[in-house]
Amino acid sequence: MQPSTVTNLATRLPSSRRPRAARTGAARRPRAARTGAARHTGTAYLFLAPFLALFTVFVVAPSIFGLWISVTDWSPFKDTQNFIGLQNYIDLFTPGSITFGDFWQSMGATGIFTVLSVPCLLIIPLFIAILLNNNIRGGTAFRAIFFAPYVLGVAVIGVIWKYLLDTQSGMLNHILGMLGLPSDIPWTVDVPWAWVSLVIVTVWWTLGFNAVILLAGLKAINPDLYEAASLDGAGMIRKFWSVTLPGLRPVMLFVSTTTILESANMFGQSYILTKGGPANSTRTAIMYISDQGLSQNNMAPAAAMSYILFAFLAVISVINFRLQREKTE
Amino acid sequence: MSSTTVPKTPAPSRSRSAASSAAGSSVQAPRRRPKGVAARTAGLYAVLIFVALAIILPLVWILITSFKTDGDVISNPYGIVPDPASTEAYSTLAEGQQPIFLWLLNSFLAATLQTAIILVTASLGAYALARLEFRGKKIVFGVIIGTLLVPPVIFLIPNYLIVQNLGWLDTIWAITVPGAAGAFGIFFLRQFFIGLPAEIEEAARIDGAGDLRIFTQIVLPLSRPALATLAILSFLANWNDFLWPIYVLLSPERLTLQPGLSQLQGTYSTHFSIVMAGAVIASVPVLILFGIAQKQIVESVASSAVKG
Amino acid sequence: MKKGIARRAVAATLALGVGIALAGCSGGGAGAGGNAVPGEDYTGPKVSITFWNGWTGGAAPVLVPKLVEKFNSEHDNIEVKNVPQEWGDISKKMPLAVKAGKGPDVAVAHGDDVATYAAQGLLLPADDIVDALGYSADDFPEGLMDAGAYKGAQYGIPWSVTPMGLYVNNDVLKSAGIDPATVPTDKDGYMKALEALKAAGISGEWVDGYVFTGTFEFESLLWQFGGDLYNDDVTEATFNSDAGVQALTHMVDLIDKGYSPPNVAQDGNIKGLLAGQTAYNWNGVWQTTNESFNEIDWTVAPVPQIGTEQAVWSSSTHWMFMNNKGQDKNKTAAAATFVKWMNENSAGWAETGELPAANDVRNDPTLVETYPNLKPFIDSLPYAHYETSAPGITAANALITTALNEAVTGKKEPKEALDDAAKQANEILKQNAAKYGD
Repeated sequence: MQPSTVTNLATRLPSSRRPRAARTGAARRPRAARTGAARHTGTAYLFLAPFLALFTVFVVAPSIFGLWISVTDWSPFKDTQNFIGLQNYIDLFTPGSITFGDFWQSMGATGIFTVLSVPCLLIIPLFIAILLNNNIRGGTAFRAIFFAPYVLGVAVIGVIWKYLLDTQSGMLNHILGMLGLPSDIPWTVDVPWAWVSLVIVTVWWTLGFNAVILLAGLKAINPDLYEAASLDGAGMIRKFWSVTLPGLRPVMLFVSTTTILESANMFGQSYILTKGGPANSTRTAIMYISDQGLSQNNMAPAAAMSYILFAFLAVISVINFRLQREKTE
Repeated sequence: MSSTTVPKTPAPSRSRSAASSAAGSSVQAPRRRPKGVAARTAGLYAVLIFVALAIILPLVWILITSFKTDGDVISNPYGIVPDPASTEAYSTLAEGQQPIFLWLLNSFLAATLQTAIILVTASLGAYALARLEFRGKKIVFGVIIGTLLVPPVIFLIPNYLIVQNLGWLDTIWAITVPGAAGAFGIFFLRQFFIGLPAEIEEAARIDGAGDLRIFTQIVLPLSRPALATLAILSFLANWNDFLWPIYVLLSPERLTLQPGLSQLQGTYSTHFSIVMAGAVIASVPVLILFGIAQKQIVESVASSAVKG
Repeated sequence: MKKGIARRAVAATLALGVGIALAGCSGGGAGAGGNAVPGEDYTGPKVSITFWNGWTGGAAPVLVPKLVEKFNSEHDNIEVKNVPQEWGDISKKMPLAVKAGKGPDVAVAHGDDVATYAAQGLLLPADDIVDALGYSADDFPEGLMDAGAYKGAQYGIPWSVTPMGLYVNNDVLKSAGIDPATVPTDKDGYMKALEALKAAGISGEWVDGYVFTGTFEFESLLWQFGGDLYNDDVTEATFNSDAGVQALTHMVDLIDKGYSPPNVAQDGNIKGLLAGQTAYNWNGVWQTTNESFNEIDWTVAPVPQIGTEQAVWSSSTHWMFMNNKGQDKNKTAAAATFVKWMNENSAGWAETGELPAANDVRNDPTLVETYPNLKPFIDSLPYAHYETSAPGITAANALITTALNEAVTGKKEPKEALDDAAKQANEILKQNAAKYGD
């Protein structure tokens, strides 16, 4: 996982399913081919050295270091940092403490965004992928167009949509007005519209990303299964439920896991579009943690918050994994 | 779920067979459907074209706005044709203090450098994990895998302090090296390397080839598709990076495009045409590159899941 | 011995973590470390110094580089590097950058930041250069020198003040049958004009719920109703007083009674004014250099008196010398030379749409002759209120904007919003006292 990035899809790609498949494969073949296990130890560590050096300094060390910071009163402006036990964590769970309200509001905002966005980010791309899977003319061109916004990056997307969604002079409200619909929707200024905007913009931005992965999953489904279903007299909708969805499960597990994590780490969209407003209601956990830790210099509470967020994400990932695997088995 | 009438598809095995068939950049061709009702096809195209327009039209509108004057944007905000058509916004940007072209260059440099670091370190390490037996392998591999799902926010504050102590704040190292330490690259390549046939390697070993030669002359050339995929994913990830550079880059001329554009928005918040000109400058080179390499890029992303 | 590799890797990691932790601990504490800013001109070997400022809009992006270039050409041994960035980005990055030794040598900040930076040990005391410049508190509007002082030392040197005014789109007034020659100065006149505009189908003033400029308007009104943001020793928030409630209620009423549309975005009101959609906008003096005003017929006047007394919000900017980790004394001396030079050449500063802080420069009659738009702002300075100066105050100030935002979007009643914000602000003030107190 790239420590530096929050909106980082590529590093989030693997699902927890993969290591398992990998380990079984790894254990077998080379052992059969090699003799003594210790034969390559020196060479192996030479090969691994560059990676392990980076991994140790920027992944292993900060994980431990961050945990340490979270149990101190760490301040960049003090000479000594004192161990204060779990006080930072206790504060975060004590109503009325200085961080309690804001932190849990930001966790709530992250939760709202995740709940609202993940279904859209799975269903719409799946729908597009199914359409594209019809072996149509121009399919590659469509695929490329749908994917294009992703390469622009979140800030470009943000400033473009801030303009389009402007309450008073944005194009979207103008078009709605021409259609006889309300033309004064406060897209980025008031809730619930701000949430709608954040979801729309995120879908617009990453639609193609999920769609191409799901499309590859669809293409990997054995066509014989569809034929067998047809022979059984299944219609399109039955085939979708009984062939397409089961066949997509491994890819869906992967896409849903990455999408949930991605949504839970949302930062850029609300940083640019709503600035966390109105009244901090769209300030996500990542936004609050980074602001507390690196702008307000409350590093210790911020480190504790990041571990609490981590715990939540871990639980959700496990639940998601369990749910989807149960269906598979 | 209602999967009683249909033969079950055990997911893991399906995905693995897909992995072997889609080992390169190609994916299995779909069955051609013989019966295509005209109306259905028309409806399908209508939806696809609608979505395509929903993506293209906003970009066209941005382009139009960028060629308007400030006065035109204010007095005629919804005019489809700039009146007068003007490059005022672009010249304001070019003469202003926001070095947007430098940001573009910085973004390219950083994404390229990080990609290079990942390719070198991950391929070397993945070779050891995939093709060599050694003591401690399980532990090393287990620790690497264990970090795969750790959210980046965990590293934000400690890595800031580490980067600061290394004296890397406001340098390209800050936005490339820590991000290259992630487990994804080595994990991804290891999966691919494991799938390579052992026979070629054994033949080379009998010929007296050492590990370095096997790595550079056999494994790497055979792994071009996987390396290209990893390169593209890494490049995109770095290109999209937003939160981290906001904090570790200090000077305007060191910024990358994402935080830079966000800053531009703040500076010219009352001048839509200038911000949109910035968005155009930030988008055009990327879209051209994407246009050239779109097939490879899209298929890299597509294969990232199926291959696992 | 081979099996120890993993264990050793873990041990090395731990050692590294602890090493970094220790390195982090030794990062220098508060206080100036015996360093101070000299008053004399710098005569040493050639140095290059970095200058951070937030002057990114209006005329400043043209004027500041010009001034810097002129300074550089007159000083063979000093090269000033001008680094403009958003004010918000500066406050976001400054503390940690200076702690890391990567901050600027000299910077400009707003009045509400100086005390925080001083308390954080980021600044060098500048008493000597203040003496060398011959400045005393009387040379500036009241309270401005104090805003740059902390625990008996002077850290900030006042540079400019930026009050609010009432911007008027005359064409819009005319279209509603109002004579633009008389700009309302009191509540009656102002509300009458808004009523006439409403009758003509125009929302006369667009109220927004953001720092720019809803918060500034709220604070102006709070003072007009006789209230204040905090008590005298800044230990308690008082913006939820009756005056505060009256001020916020006035703003919310403008929306409820249809004088303002709901849900105005940040900067939406100045855009609306420029686009001829609204007639009045409470905004800062910096807008006088917004080129878009060339497109419309406009005037600017002091803000009307809605409350019981005259008052208006103003910010101020101050020079600061940064106490970077390992700060080079030569660079600080060069920075002092630069700041002195800028003060001696500040007559042209009004071109940027900021009022020079020094009274004699600002009150020179040629200034208003050259920049007539600045007159209403200069006229309103006698009753201007400046931002509260106390370590860590901006975190508490942010809650004022939260309350404003909640009230104008109808989430809370004005009193409830202000009470909630004040309660939380008091917690922050307590935290600040613990963090920065003696």
